[in-house]
Amino acid sequence: MRIGVFVCQCGTNIAATVATDRVVEAARAMLGVIHAESIQYTCSDPGQRAIIDAIQQKDLTRVVMAGCSPRMHETTFRRAVQRGGMNPFMLEMVNIREHCSWIHPDIDQGTLKAIDLVRKGVARVRRQAPLSGSTVPVTRAALVIGGGVAGIQAALDMADAGIPVTLVEKGPTIGGNMARLDKTFPTLDCSSCILTPRMVEVKNHDNIKLIVNAEVDQVRGHIGSFEVDIRRKATCVIEQKCTGCMICQEKCPSRAPDEFNAGMGESKAISIAFPQAVPLVAGLRKEHCRQFVKGRCGVCQKVCPADAIDYEQEDEIVSGAFGAVVVATGYDLYDWTGSYPTYGMGRYPDVITSMQYERLLSASGPTGGHVRRPSDGAEPQQVVFISCIGSRDESVGRPQCCSVGCMYTAKQAILTKEHIPDSQSYIFYIDIRAAGKGYDEFSRRAQTEFGALYIRGRVGKIYPRGGKLIVMGTDTLAGEQVEIEADLVVLATGLTAARGAGELARKLNISYDGYEFFTEGHPKLKPVETNTGGVFLAGACQGPKDIPATVAQASAAAAKVIGLLSRGELETSPVVAAVDRNRCVGCFKCRDVCPYGAVEQEQLPGGRAVAHVIDSLCQGCGLCNVACPPSTISLKGYTDNQLIAEVVEVLR
Amino acid sequence: MSKENVKIVGFLCNWCSYAGADMAGTARIRQPAQLRIVRLPCTGRVDPLLILKAFQEGADGVLVSGCHPGDCHYNEGNYHARRRLEVLARMLPALGIDPARFHYTWVSASEGARWAEVVESFTGQVKQAVGGGSVSQTNEVDKMV
Amino acid sequence: MDDLIATIKQVLAETDMVLGWTRSAAAGVAVPARFHTPREAEAAVFDSTCVHNLAVHLPRLKDRRVGIVAKGCDVKSIVQLIAEREIERDRVRVIGVRCPGMVDVKKAWRCFGFGKKVEDAGGQVAMEGKTVAREEILLAKCRGCRDAVPVIRDAAVGGVQGQSVAAAGELAGIRKRFASMSVDERRRFWRDQFSRCIRCYACREACPLCFCRDVCAMQTREPHWTGGGVDARQSEMAQLIRISHMAGRCTGCEECERACPVGIPLMLLLEEQNALIEELFGYRAGTDPEATPPLLTFDAGKDAGGGGL
Repeated sequence: MRIGVFVCQCGTNIAATVATDRVVEAARAMLGVIHAESIQYTCSDPGQRAIIDAIQQKDLTRVVMAGCSPRMHETTFRRAVQRGGMNPFMLEMVNIREHCSWIHPDIDQGTLKAIDLVRKGVARVRRQAPLSGSTVPVTRAALVIGGGVAGIQAALDMADAGIPVTLVEKGPTIGGNMARLDKTFPTLDCSSCILTPRMVEVKNHDNIKLIVNAEVDQVRGHIGSFEVDIRRKATCVIEQKCTGCMICQEKCPSRAPDEFNAGMGESKAISIAFPQAVPLVAGLRKEHCRQFVKGRCGVCQKVCPADAIDYEQEDEIVSGAFGAVVVATGYDLYDWTGSYPTYGMGRYPDVITSMQYERLLSASGPTGGHVRRPSDGAEPQQVVFISCIGSRDESVGRPQCCSVGCMYTAKQAILTKEHIPDSQSYIFYIDIRAAGKGYDEFSRRAQTEFGALYIRGRVGKIYPRGGKLIVMGTDTLAGEQVEIEADLVVLATGLTAARGAGELARKLNISYDGYEFFTEGHPKLKPVETNTGGVFLAGACQGPKDIPATVAQASAAAAKVIGLLSRGELETSPVVAAVDRNRCVGCFKCRDVCPYGAVEQEQLPGGRAVAHVIDSLCQGCGLCNVACPPSTISLKGYTDNQLIAEVVEVLR
Repeated sequence: MSKENVKIVGFLCNWCSYAGADMAGTARIRQPAQLRIVRLPCTGRVDPLLILKAFQEGADGVLVSGCHPGDCHYNEGNYHARRRLEVLARMLPALGIDPARFHYTWVSASEGARWAEVVESFTGQVKQAVGGGSVSQTNEVDKMV
Repeated sequence: MDDLIATIKQVLAETDMVLGWTRSAAAGVAVPARFHTPREAEAAVFDSTCVHNLAVHLPRLKDRRVGIVAKGCDVKSIVQLIAEREIERDRVRVIGVRCPGMVDVKKAWRCFGFGKKVEDAGGQVAMEGKTVAREEILLAKCRGCRDAVPVIRDAAVGGVQGQSVAAAGELAGIRKRFASMSVDERRRFWRDQFSRCIRCYACREACPLCFCRDVCAMQTREPHWTGGGVDARQSEMAQLIRISHMAGRCTGCEECERACPVGIPLMLLLEEQNALIEELFGYRAGTDPEATPPLLTFDAGKDAGGGGL
């Protein structure tokens, strides 16, 4: 056994609090170690070269690399030792940076711990066997979940690259939140003007299959070959027949809330969300429909010229096979009505959310683009905007910045002035965050050119008085109380993860944070990956972000998928369970606990039944290893003896 | 053995807690230096015998940490682990091991600060548990046999 | 006894053999026997010295059709073997017997002398004129027995209507002492107990649910949990392996403790583990052949534990 130990100084990241020369010296005394050295930056080209040289000159058979977290650079160094001629799994990484030098300022403590950890790594690598994976075919098709701008961008990029894409949208139309916006910051270009052509492109693209009113029901399989059941919810409208003529909506006698317009205005039980909807197909909401609530009506069926109404329609499961999945489920707006009691909890009609205001500004909105306040339809003169509702607010349990509120509030103040030239906007803010390209200039224009008055401070209370809303707040810069008689108050509500995000994450087996935003594979280096191979993230489902960042991430996710699916087959992880069939007693407890159905029964000549692992299904969790009393099923790379040796060595 | 020189073994799943510990490191959150982390794919790979082995080899404390229930990278691994570890935890008094010397918990990849708190409080708990000296003495005797 | 013999003969008609007991003239007590023919079955007996859990033989006979004479507690082992798919229900014919409570044969010999014939007569155990109340020399597990009625049976002898042969009573002897020990005292207690272990593996061989046999982790180097030595640490690790592997599986038949030649009170730990598994998961091994053993499954909604700090 010829082990080489390399101790990275990581500049001073490690060397400042771990005496790497002492670690090297200690390593030289460890069993099997014939070479040990300290390197300034091991991940650099010369650093990797030093490892390869040592492997070749000293005939190393195993390598221990003490440095940063294996989650950071394990792949880098596996490739390096492979270039040196070794099996990549004969490398063991020891984390003396994140788990040692960065958290222990005392050099003695840090050094002793680093030595313990290196000893553990040496013991472990001594018991390591060369591993290699098998290959599985890749299904050349992608699933995109969510049809907002992120999903649209990702789907189009992939489809343009020749990949068959299925785009699943929960609602009746694609377009997402962006379709509801009037103008976009900082250029004030019209949101629909830039989005709707992309929506139509999705509809018409040969490589895109669009399924609306649908959600992911079940996910099986793994990277390269997912099997997904998609539930298409019954809408009582036969999509292929509906021509989008909207006669049903016109004649429908049942009123229903207008969700597209964020509750501003009314719609019908059978409706098309908005005139540019894609697909342009009506949908019926049973909970509001007289046919279903009262048991008789049937108007839409009678008037439909295309015979597209089917009250008996049932949910349908559409199954598909995909090599990769892009999750682009976007965001919902924070529901402020439950947690801001001093703002009226939604009781005052003229206290509205930014999205509702967006619809009032929009030419396609319920007021045709004339700003009229909800209570009496009057044009407001004094408009108060309040930032950070449900963001940067620990008192409601939402500490994060929504990252778009400052900018869209500035935009709305500008648009207000454009719509109502003699109006005055007031903006209560905590800080103005305008870090994007052209953003700061934009928010300054709101003040200088459009006369918006920025007041740094929180609003304590809003209450109605004689047709006005009295907004009482603090100007923390002037150090005084402010009272404004407002005609309209717009709350800049923050972004939350889309409803049901956690549930979807569990189906896809990806991580999410305490706010149900999905967790990227690495905060810096794997911004669109997840912890589950083959599942990628795009847009605000990963965290609040604006349109340019969303689109960039969507294209990045698409590029990842295109790269993945360009390969005909994938190498599976060699870290899978294996059965020692000579010793297996055939109790099949491994099969009982396997979450992936990766253990099957194998009949040996002579009739003995033993367990057998299907490599392509095994994900390497090791549950079976523990369930097997004699450990005859064993997780490669994490065998009992490796773990026992690690325990023994760190306690030596 | 002095109270300060306790040795603690941590078994961490790769996907959540190990990443959480990485995050605590990246954020430079100072932590007690007694913990030695063994990285596993999943808490479902933690054989309760590893914990008993660690105690037998002289560990003063053993900490297991994985993904929060419902968030397991392998869907079900930590659910199995929870049953196995709960049985083990409750067996410790009968085996003559102070249950304060063992803990299992859940720390996600995004909970770096919480991980540091876990290390801090568990280290304190272990120091207190072995502070009387009798248990560590027993370990010393065990080691000599 | 005629009833027993007749039943065994009946069962033999549809099986390859019946596991039961016969009386050893040399030892004076019942010993396990395999009956293959009606003539062999004439020698069958059942009395309060039929202590052995014959279910231990079933896994190795899983390809045969086997009848087995079984007490309520033995049936639990059979049930558990079925639940773990070690044996097939269809291949086993269970002859349930009405159990009077089993005596501790070593205690009987201390009362009467080794090799003397131990008679079993209505609450008394007798030998050549000397008698002793059976209750006084009962096995510990028979006190407060909850399992006198066999959970599954294909035939019954003597009416299997169960009876609690003796009340559980208060903790006595070593159980009482153990219960009152501090954690540190227990540590020393086990170190001393396991230092007496001679690594004979009788505990494992007597256990119906230890079916790994020659690949048993108590003895292997792959995995190498412990060496083969007989010092307290190595022996303790070996025993911890067995106890850990019995979690959610042990039916409490006490055969391991009965088999231990140096008298290590293994049941102290197994009983503790069984009790806490019943408390945590509402599961008693050997009571339901359809139930999944608790450590092979989970209940995401109900299970609790972990977290915090």
